[in-house]
Amino acid sequence: MTFQVNPLRKYVREDRMPHFFCPGCGCGQVLTSFLRGVDALSLDINKMTTVAGVGCTARIPVYMKTDTLHGVHGRTLPWATGIKLHSPETKVVVFAGDGDAVSIGGNHFIHAARRNLDVLMIVVNNFNFAMTGGQVAPMTPAGSVTMTTPYGSGEPPFDLCALAVAAGATYVARAATPYIPQMDNAIQKGLEHEGFGVVEVLSQCPTHFGRYALGSGSPAKTLDWIRGVCVSKAKADTLSPEELRGKLVTGEFVSVSRPVFKGSTFLKDENGGRNP
Amino acid sequence: MEKGQREKGQREKGQREKGQREKGQREKENRVLSGVHFMQGNYAAVEGALAAGCDFFAGYPITPANEVSERMSQRLPAVGGVFLQGEDELCSINAVAGASLAGAKAMTATASAGYDYLQEGLEYGVAVEAPMVVVDVQRCRGENFATQADIMQVHWGPAGDHEMIVLAPSSVQELFDFTVRAFNLAEEYRTPVIVLSETTIALMRERLVIPEADKIPVVNRKWTTKTPEEYLPFKADSEWGVPEFSGLGRGYHTIYSINPHDEKGSIEWDPDAFERLYTRIPAKVARNRKKISTVQRYGLDDAKVALVAYGSEVRPCIDAMDVLREGGKKVGVMKLDAPWPFPEEAIEELSKNMDLVATVEMNVGKYAGEIERACRGRCRTARVTKNRGLIHSPEEILESLSGFEEVR
Amino acid sequence: MSSATKATSIRFSGFGGQGIILSAVVLGDALVIHRGLYAAQTQSYGSEARGGQCQSELIVSEKPILTPIRATNDILVAMFQTAFNTYVDSLRKGGALFVDSELVKDLSRVPPETACHSIPATQIASGLGNKMAANMVMLGYFAGVTNMVGLEHLDSALAENVREQFLDLNKKAIRAGFDLSLGKA
Repeated sequence: MTFQVNPLRKYVREDRMPHFFCPGCGCGQVLTSFLRGVDALSLDINKMTTVAGVGCTARIPVYMKTDTLHGVHGRTLPWATGIKLHSPETKVVVFAGDGDAVSIGGNHFIHAARRNLDVLMIVVNNFNFAMTGGQVAPMTPAGSVTMTTPYGSGEPPFDLCALAVAAGATYVARAATPYIPQMDNAIQKGLEHEGFGVVEVLSQCPTHFGRYALGSGSPAKTLDWIRGVCVSKAKADTLSPEELRGKLVTGEFVSVSRPVFKGSTFLKDENGGRNP
Repeated sequence: MEKGQREKGQREKGQREKGQREKGQREKENRVLSGVHFMQGNYAAVEGALAAGCDFFAGYPITPANEVSERMSQRLPAVGGVFLQGEDELCSINAVAGASLAGAKAMTATASAGYDYLQEGLEYGVAVEAPMVVVDVQRCRGENFATQADIMQVHWGPAGDHEMIVLAPSSVQELFDFTVRAFNLAEEYRTPVIVLSETTIALMRERLVIPEADKIPVVNRKWTTKTPEEYLPFKADSEWGVPEFSGLGRGYHTIYSINPHDEKGSIEWDPDAFERLYTRIPAKVARNRKKISTVQRYGLDDAKVALVAYGSEVRPCIDAMDVLREGGKKVGVMKLDAPWPFPEEAIEELSKNMDLVATVEMNVGKYAGEIERACRGRCRTARVTKNRGLIHSPEEILESLSGFEEVR
Repeated sequence: MSSATKATSIRFSGFGGQGIILSAVVLGDALVIHRGLYAAQTQSYGSEARGGQCQSELIVSEKPILTPIRATNDILVAMFQTAFNTYVDSLRKGGALFVDSELVKDLSRVPPETACHSIPATQIASGLGNKMAANMVMLGYFAGVTNMVGLEHLDSALAENVREQFLDLNKKAIRAGFDLSLGKA
């Protein structure tokens, strides 16, 4: 019997295995999808910097052979801003959960989008604060039971992609772990994009969101629920607002080009003139 | 550091970082404005930072620190650096951390209320050993009046274990000199360093002499020459040592995590690794306390009474001392250049030689507790405090002391 | 070592927009850069500065200045009545007072033995085309009376601290004040 080594293993810190994600968690799928994108584009992962805050998603980069910043909740984009402004040649990818990205990090999110900071931000939306034990988060569906909304959530959720588009992000797409080719495509396009890219990946958290909000800790049932709320952009264009209520549209929302952020004020590269 | 060493360091860094070299070619203004100036304190801090090699600044508007950002926004791009106005202080301090790990000499400036927001970024800087410089222009809560009320927060603000380096300039000249020194200490010990400014000196204009560039000592962090295979990012050569730096994007794939980590940088809950890490991190500063926390002695040789002060309050203390000495009283002043790490040995020595040690400060009496602890009952102690938005006058200090028989 | 005995404390006062702080900065700059003296310039801030009042203290000395704020001033420059009323009590006996004759009319609280100089600075500045230059008329007059600093040094300090478009006006204003002090006006 012969064994074939997964070609993506060369990107992984094998000494850190086994990983710490719960059985059935979507973070591993996102990690693998990201590495497929790196491999397909022949990016030098050794020269890449990945940035993560706090949460389950924040542990994704820890398993990859990149330089990684980790461990302060919600400050991924400020870190990335400092890195990119000082060394624009460094490829920077941010991994953030829904809470990290737009709860505690919400202010940074809209300003990074406004500035068109040249980083890709992969937001793994598992609909709750998972690492802390399943509390309500900014994308938790209204009415959901969580550890801090025992009577159902009275908090309307963000549409993260609409927020990113409105704030000025230049590449915005939503994907979901049940649809792997679509997720690969969105992440790969995000990696190729120059400017602020946001890829929201809807992902299953059977341990907390599954158990509290959906009434089952089964990964399969959580994935089924995600399939049930996803509508492709092509289909969504044919549906009425009523029919779209409670649905999450997957696909690409914007892909445009505009100058990337170089600093709040800077000299023009040519002739040493002032920035207009 | 010797000039030759500095140039060598700069050469090595330049060879490593192509982007940096290109930035260097874009310098349109002199980085070091050598000569005599009549300059505001906030501006002097900027010039000190630039002289020390600062190439990244992020700040959020707040009075009375705005002049730091304003001058940085003009000067930094013209010398090949980057200026960022963060969306808030959280952005500023964390952008400073990110830029520092990418290899920058990075700084932010704020005033007390803004300093509150810096704690998590400082905590991160301590944990991943990122050189960072912060200027805190202390102001009264909600108003821009003079105070020294942040003296304890600048040490104990961030959660967790650390030994903070805090320099307290007392003049516009020292705002320049100490900001240079802050960068050098940050680089040497790979740790955040605070320049504890005050409304009084930040907004004051004074004579400032900026030396020739080659007379200003500049220290650079020790970049590793090891290969990625042999490099251990958080391994130091002793229990109080400073690890070599590899920076981002150079193939060392290092994890810079605030979480407990071992020498390899792996996130690890191992009580031994945790204890080892947080023995070394405070120790690398504490073991060098005498070198870092220098003191200046005025008239202490024959004195029986010492006034101890830091920052702007040193100034009226020396005026008060002169008046008392003219009256035949044996009074001296100890100026603490760096209130943190606490100059334990200097205060201990003082307490052995004095009958009375009086701490003079512009707050309700905070640092005085530390001085009293270090005196350990070997002499009498007193607190000369003023907490009404204005520096002590010498007369006020004299009046406070008049009740003590040692001074009468 | 004491600076208290050797130093001169000058307080510039008026209301916001009169260029009070600029006067102190320009004088300090000229004294430090061109006469090699020490100077410390401070100003009001916070709610202390509200209500339109404005003041800046400049301490000048041949030695480094320690305490940067004095309880009593050797010289008071007041460009407005309310500023005069606020600060006149800090003027020491035997000091010097400079006021704008149009804007400070009630001098009843002047301490004894004060050398009083009352000049129509705002009126002269208006004649030069901009009453905002009254501060510089006063500064020129002050320089002529006190001999602390030469015109060329003030010009040079102006260039460091004033936008180019206002440089000419300010220089003219300083000259007008200086000439007045020599009785040439």
